[in-house]
Amino acid sequence: MRGENKRSVIVGIFVFLGIAILVAGVMTLGGQQKKFVKAIQLKAVFDDIGGLQPGNNVWFSGVKIGTVRKINFYGDSQVEIEMNVEEEVVEFIRKDSKATLSSDGLIGNKIIVIYGGTTLAPPVEDGDRLESVMPLDTDAMMETLQENNKNLVEITNDLKVLTGKLAAGEGIVGAVMTDSLLAENFRSIISNLNRASINSNQMLTDLNRFTTKLNTEGNLFNDLVTDTTMASELKATITSFRSSASNTEELTAKLSEISAKLDDPDNSLGMLLNDPEFAEMLKSTMENTDSATYNLNRGLEALEYTWPFRKGFKRKAKAEEKEGN
Amino acid sequence: MAEESDDRKPVLSKKIDKFFTGLADAWNFVRRFWKEVFLPPYEFKEVIHQCYRIGVESLPLISLTGFIVGIVFTNQSRPSLSEFGATSWLPSLISIAVVRAMGPLVTALIAAGKVGSSIGAEIGSMKVTEQIDAMEVSATNPFKFLVVSRVLATTFMIPILVLYTDFVALIGSFLNVNSNELVSLSTFFFQVFESISFLDIWSSVLKSLLFGFTIGIVGCYKGYNSSKGTEGVGRAANSAVVISMFLIFIEELLVLQIVNAIRTF
Repeated sequence: MRGENKRSVIVGIFVFLGIAILVAGVMTLGGQQKKFVKAIQLKAVFDDIGGLQPGNNVWFSGVKIGTVRKINFYGDSQVEIEMNVEEEVVEFIRKDSKATLSSDGLIGNKIIVIYGGTTLAPPVEDGDRLESVMPLDTDAMMETLQENNKNLVEITNDLKVLTGKLAAGEGIVGAVMTDSLLAENFRSIISNLNRASINSNQMLTDLNRFTTKLNTEGNLFNDLVTDTTMASELKATITSFRSSASNTEELTAKLSEISAKLDDPDNSLGMLLNDPEFAEMLKSTMENTDSATYNLNRGLEALEYTWPFRKGFKRKAKAEEKEGN
Repeated sequence: MAEESDDRKPVLSKKIDKFFTGLADAWNFVRRFWKEVFLPPYEFKEVIHQCYRIGVESLPLISLTGFIVGIVFTNQSRPSLSEFGATSWLPSLISIAVVRAMGPLVTALIAAGKVGSSIGAEIGSMKVTEQIDAMEVSATNPFKFLVVSRVLATTFMIPILVLYTDFVALIGSFLNVNSNELVSLSTFFFQVFESISFLDIWSSVLKSLLFGFTIGIVGCYKGYNSSKGTEGVGRAANSAVVISMFLIFIEELLVLQIVNAIRTF
């Protein structure tokens, strides 16, 4: 009887330990696969999910935060993924976060990676749909790589031709590399350019110094730019100049009028200037006057030696002589 | 006389007739089990006794086998994985292999050899020595006492043995992985549970129940229907093991197809 009890106890312990192993396994698995945590559902739509399956992991910032719950066809040929995401991490996932497909390691299982998102957007809510970003397609990548390879072959072919020409001294660069005289000229050009550059530097320094002087207070240009009083005076001067110009214009008009009148022989000056007959008469008159003056001078000289004027002239000569001594 | 000669004449052929007759007998045997299992009186003490013999007494052998399976499978898998630098995947590979297939299969095969043969031989010897007839005479239901108790014991003990085997095999694998790849216990078990699912665990347990039932029912059927004296006992024990193992593989294949169908659904 005691032996039977002992057996029963041992069987009980055996069964208990077996069930304990099962429960521990189930709990560990559930805990690891987030089966017993509160979760919300998020969705994302992809064109191609590349073999993703329900139960695959969902990562956020490299941390597993959930699993793929369901995969449905959507629209014409797209696929909608429903994900269970732990409620604890929801506050870190924003509505503007993106979802993409990746793999767990180089040849690992497919996973969904949630990334991005800004604090400007509110946290996600149950049933939200995240913007999906298609990952790089390996086939497309290989296609581009093949295109690059073709381009590379063409480039190396061109380079081969180019270096051949360079080596043969063809073209300007080839000539520079092979012709010593051209190279010398080129060197000279470079030297001149260098000198010009030094000169332009010097010029810039001088210009800089000049502008510094111009900026010195008390300088005319500086005052012109900065002194407001001077500006008003300058304005007044310009106004005055403008007035003078107006007067000059008026004067010029009057002078024009006078010169027009001078051209007209109806007036005395016009006649004087324009009438040749009058000029001839005036000339004759002047000649007559000159002749009369000459005759008058001879008369007066003769008068000096005549009585009663002779005595007076002698007295005057003596007085002048005295003053001269 | 004419009727007797008709009865002796085979329907298809002697062997085919024998095969189908055996199949019908087996079907009736299973039906009788399901009928008896729910009807009182219940032989709890005998069930516990058989659980002890089948479960507890098989534990050392099963544990040793599981431990060796874990170590050997890890060692054999390493070269293939290390060829492309994926030895870090060993825990995942071992867990899938052990939980999904090797644990239940190895346990069931060992149990079929150890338990199935002993059940077949035990009941067979009782049959040829007319102890079963004596039990019927003494108003004891031999089917309930001998068959139902043993089948229930195998059905419930094999899944528990499978859980032990899984655990011990994973421990063996861990020791091997730890000594070669210096992986810690927590990392090892994290990776183990990372790659399996609830479906793997439940399918493993359900499969083990089926294996246990098969081992028990085949052993009992062969023993219960043994004849021709001591030679028949040996034949019953032998055929109990062979048929159990054969059915275990068939069931493994069927369950695998069903689980895969569920997995992809």
